[in-house]
Amino acid sequence: MKTLEIKNLHVSVEDKEILKGIDLVVNEGEVHALMGPNGNGKSTLLAAIMGNPKYTITEGSILYDGQNVLEMPVNERSKAGLFLAMQYPQEIAGVTNSDFLRAAMNVRREKPVSLFTFIKEIEKSINELQMDENLAHRFLNEGFSGGEKKRNEIVQMKLLKPSMAMLDEIDSGLDVDAIQLVAQALTDLKNETNMAMIVVSHYDRFLELIQPSFTHVLVNGRIIVEGGPELFKKIDDEGYDWIYKEYDVEPAAQDGKRRALNTLGTCAVRETVNGSKK
Amino acid sequence: MIQISDSKTIILEDESYEIEINSDKAIDLTFVIQNNTNVLVNIQSCPSLHISCELKEDYEAKILYWNSSKNELVTSEEYNVYRNGDLTVAYGECNLANTNRDTTILLKEAGANAVLSSASLVNVNKEYRMRVVNEAEHTHGDMKNYAVVLSEGKLMIDAIGAIKKGAHRAESHQTSRALSFAEGQKATILPELLIDENDVQASHAMSMGRMDEDQLYYMMSRGLSIEDCTSLIATGYLLPIVDVVKDENLKETLKKELEGKIQELCSM
Repeated sequence: MKTLEIKNLHVSVEDKEILKGIDLVVNEGEVHALMGPNGNGKSTLLAAIMGNPKYTITEGSILYDGQNVLEMPVNERSKAGLFLAMQYPQEIAGVTNSDFLRAAMNVRREKPVSLFTFIKEIEKSINELQMDENLAHRFLNEGFSGGEKKRNEIVQMKLLKPSMAMLDEIDSGLDVDAIQLVAQALTDLKNETNMAMIVVSHYDRFLELIQPSFTHVLVNGRIIVEGGPELFKKIDDEGYDWIYKEYDVEPAAQDGKRRALNTLGTCAVRETVNGSKK
Repeated sequence: MIQISDSKTIILEDESYEIEINSDKAIDLTFVIQNNTNVLVNIQSCPSLHISCELKEDYEAKILYWNSSKNELVTSEEYNVYRNGDLTVAYGECNLANTNRDTTILLKEAGANAVLSSASLVNVNKEYRMRVVNEAEHTHGDMKNYAVVLSEGKLMIDAIGAIKKGAHRAESHQTSRALSFAEGQKATILPELLIDENDVQASHAMSMGRMDEDQLYYMMSRGLSIEDCTSLIATGYLLPIVDVVKDENLKETLKKELEGKIQELCSM
């Protein structure tokens, strides 16, 4: 059984410590929801697992399937089965989705995927996610809307079939119908491959569809409280304030002054535009 | 295929041509275009090449110079485009020998149109001086230079768009992009717009630099090595040059050659 094991993980960005000792175990086939106010380390944790060079691991370990992930370059982590559906997927001009995905499929196989198989698989995924039928020939994410980019992350995931999928706010930027489509695609893939998932989301609607069995709440770089699905439902109803009181913690302030959100449905963009709630 | 080993005048009256230049002495070629035509000029060897070309009114011509030479190549080229003529001159440079080009396109009569473009995989010295001159009204000139500069490469492009007095409503545009993958690689691009008329449109866009780290991380997070990413990006930059060629078989051959060269050089 493939297991992700994180022990006492400390991560810094530009000398500022973001994660202050994370312990987390995710077994094959399990779905974990990672929650917490904005700016408190959820994306950092996923990026650190994937190997984003902007983040420095100062202490702790990450093992996946018994291998020391921290010693592996980013591409080897991907080939080991890790996949991060990013919050802000990059646009790569000049490289078509099709060339990119075929290359990504081929690096994890001994024999290159045949053109016929590739076209069949990508067309199936494009149809399932109701994307532009010319997607394969368009440049990677270039000129895509926010929602298209997110759905394209799932197209990639379906073709690469990871054993550990990490989803960083994949539901933001998606309308109600698209959330349903993405959740269905993820559920199908999970049923097919028994992949594990770590899902960062602010939306109860999405989590209800994905059905996580475990919930972890990250506040100021530490997992403060853990539980089952009842925990994300409680947070959806009551926000985070009860956690701050009960566990005597303060969320990390954003930009030195902003207090963390206290409702589940507030998105970071709206927060930035309207100012934070006090 | 027309084999060239001596200076000559070639009448281009068919739809497509494949010309191969193989000579150890200087060659002087004159193209006289008498039809809409699509030409691939494959330079196997030639120390010095002079081209002069007249594109008469209303004709459309696309010429791709594919440099396969193992030795240094020095070229000087002059093109005259007349009323409503439409000329594309393109350079595919992925060989491992120095190139020094000097190209001038004169848009001599109203409605003349020209695109001058290059795609270069630079692992030696590549130096281009390009001029597109709008001499008449309603003429349109466009320069597009794309380069991937590798560790041993040095690129210099002097791109001049000039609009002469009296060339009302002329347009002169240029785009230059140079991409490198490591520190210390050298590329110099000088975009120049020399405008001597008021009622015109002119622009230049330029980007130079290393591949964006976030893009690299994104691509690697799907399993691609740095070399795979370099190859894919370089291919995206350079491959569109082969679209100048109409013949699908020829296009496929050039595409494979370019992809092979990119893979070979980018994984070094």
